Amino acid sequence: MRVNPNPLPDLLAALEQTQQQINTDLQQISSGQSVTVPSDNPGAAAALVQNAAQTSTADQFLRSIGSVQGEVASADSTLSSVTTALQRAISLGVEAANGTLNASDRAAIATEVQGIQTQLVSLANLSYQGSYVFAGTATQTVPYALDPTSASGVTYAGNSNTNSITLGNDFTLQTNVPGSQLFSAAGSDVFQSIQDLLTGLQTGTGIAAAVGEVNSAANYLDAQRVFYGNAENQLTAQQTYLNSDTTALAQQQNTLGGADLATAISNLTSEETAHQATLAAVAGANQPNLFSYLK
Amino acid sequence: MSSLNASLAIALSGLTAEQRALEATTNNVANVNTPGYSRQVPNLVSSDPVVIDPLTLGTGVTLESITSVRDPILESSIQQESQTQGQLGAQVSALQQTQVNFTTSTSDIGTEITNFFNSINQLSASPADLSVRQGVLTAADNLAASFNSTANNLTQQQTSLDQNVVETVGQINQLSQQIAQLNGKISQLQGAGESAGSFVDQRQQAIDQLSSLVDVSVIPSNNTLTLTTANGTPLVMGTQSFQLQTQANAAGLHEVYAQGVDITSQITSGSLGGTLQVRDQQIPGIESQLDTLAAGLANEVNGVQAAGYDLNGTAGTNLFNPPPAGGTGAAASLSVAITDPALIAASSDGTSGSNGNAEKMYALSSQTGINGQTPTDYYSGVVFNVGNDVANATAEQSASTQVLQQLNDQRASISGVSLDQEAANMVQYQNAYAASAQVVTTINTMMYDVLQMNVLNG
Repeated sequence: MRVNPNPLPDLLAALEQTQQQINTDLQQISSGQSVTVPSDNPGAAAALVQNAAQTSTADQFLRSIGSVQGEVASADSTLSSVTTALQRAISLGVEAANGTLNASDRAAIATEVQGIQTQLVSLANLSYQGSYVFAGTATQTVPYALDPTSASGVTYAGNSNTNSITLGNDFTLQTNVPGSQLFSAAGSDVFQSIQDLLTGLQTGTGIAAAVGEVNSAANYLDAQRVFYGNAENQLTAQQTYLNSDTTALAQQQNTLGGADLATAISNLTSEETAHQATLAAVAGANQPNLFSYLK
Repeated sequence: MSSLNASLAIALSGLTAEQRALEATTNNVANVNTPGYSRQVPNLVSSDPVVIDPLTLGTGVTLESITSVRDPILESSIQQESQTQGQLGAQVSALQQTQVNFTTSTSDIGTEITNFFNSINQLSASPADLSVRQGVLTAADNLAASFNSTANNLTQQQTSLDQNVVETVGQINQLSQQIAQLNGKISQLQGAGESAGSFVDQRQQAIDQLSSLVDVSVIPSNNTLTLTTANGTPLVMGTQSFQLQTQANAAGLHEVYAQGVDITSQITSGSLGGTLQVRDQQIPGIESQLDTLAAGLANEVNGVQAAGYDLNGTAGTNLFNPPPAGGTGAAASLSVAITDPALIAASSDGTSGSNGNAEKMYALSSQTGINGQTPTDYYSGVVFNVGNDVANATAEQSASTQVLQQLNDQRASISGVSLDQEAANMVQYQNAYAASAQVVTTINTMMYDVLQMNVLNG
């Protein structure tokens, strides 16, 4: 039976193969990646595209959460100041309702209440990073202005619309409460109640009723503030969730496309051994033939 | 005639035959490294005997023929496998270049899609902020640029594959001519009853090379052969070669013509077949998928723009320039239509602080609006398809290489020159020659003895 008398081309082909394998192993070890082009592992490559998108999206959600948290915190602390101012107005009103004060005393209290009214307008016109927080969606116009012709003493130039923002897969959060709901709600109008108190102080009648109005408006406002407390809690919870999600995504990315260094190094060692063995075989393939022995 | 002269003639035939057999052996040794060479075996045949009653006497030895040892079925298998190898080789190397466009980087299409939607989410958080709005325009520009450059790369690759087609057709034509010439020489020799030995080897080499370029079918006939492509277009008939032509079509890509008939779609094997497949089917397939994605995204975004209001309270206009009707070329031509950040329609109620429409635009990232998939899912499908095509072709190529190697080993074991065998043959013929020479010497002595006989002593 004849055999292939020239094994060299086959040995050279084997050398090329082991060399290529060595190159692949070296590249994996140096880059730390087992998937550099889609054909390395098409399924993993497609999954890595998704993984990268999800990671980047989660990072964006975290950034947006940061923006919203700032605005919510600012609104919440402003409303706290509003409550303080209203409490001051109530105690002033209670003092004035005491029938022992005269007109000039009441006038002095009225001046202070007017000061509170101005302060309330300024607080309601809170601006955060260039937008008015309590104007509904009309955030580029000043929502409240003192207006002596208006029954409540102010006019509201904002609207009653709200914004929501997507901060996670299937998670959207309302981000604002319009002034019309907070300060000018029918039946619990903060400004109307302050205006009524002023009128009462100026005329000397209806002060007690006005104080009751301010009180109920203040209670209503407190109830509305719950929105911001809830928002802060939800934002913090979502932040925690997204942080653990990005950690999981990073692990998934490593599983899908990271090089298993231990395996790659042991593969490299065995490939190098095979390569050297083949080299020795090629060198030894220069066997003497019968011609060398004929004299 | 029984005589010393007859014996001399017989010994001479031995000398001649062994000498010629030695020539064949020497030729084999000289050609030990010639690619495609089939070892030649001298056929020594006993010469026709003569009858001199009551004896039948031999008349020596003749070298009847020198045959090349080759297995035609094996040759045919090698041709087939060469075609497959050629096709897969061309496909793998082209597609490996294509798939580079789809590796994850900082500016691949998938990354830019996500960046675009991220900028929309930022807009949702601060709808009236001009620098955030500018960020959306920048992200849209980058997305369009990413589509443009990928589409351009694919078109450029098509062009370079096209050049490849023209070059390969040139090589095919050269080989056809070569084979036709060899056919002429071979049929001349074989017609005269002689072995055409090394010409047949050269022709087989040329056919093998041609097989790796295009699908060929070999039809042997009297002392010659006909070569056609797999679907019957003639390439070589006897001593005549039929040249293939290339002609550019409307898109600027070259089609292959044989005698005026367009045979491009019928070439399915060999490296020409592989190149044509990538140029005409696989790359256009990817381009069409990218066009679907680009057109789908542009139309969806433009639709949402139109439903909302910009910073000035006016109804939104197109963010992207509308893609071509039918979608072809959408990826290459995708571009942003607005430069003023105020024109982004983030608002759903006409006020500058509303983000309702920005939210709708963000929702596009999770809506299955691109052929029933989200934009990112669709893109990851494209990545999978490209990678899978390359991986499959590479696996097939490696299997084909193994098969071809085995077939070549088999051919070498049948037709390859073994120096050991040739050395043994050489010793054999040398000894036979020496023996015949010794016979001549002996006959010479006998003749001398005859002459020394003093019979007619008067």
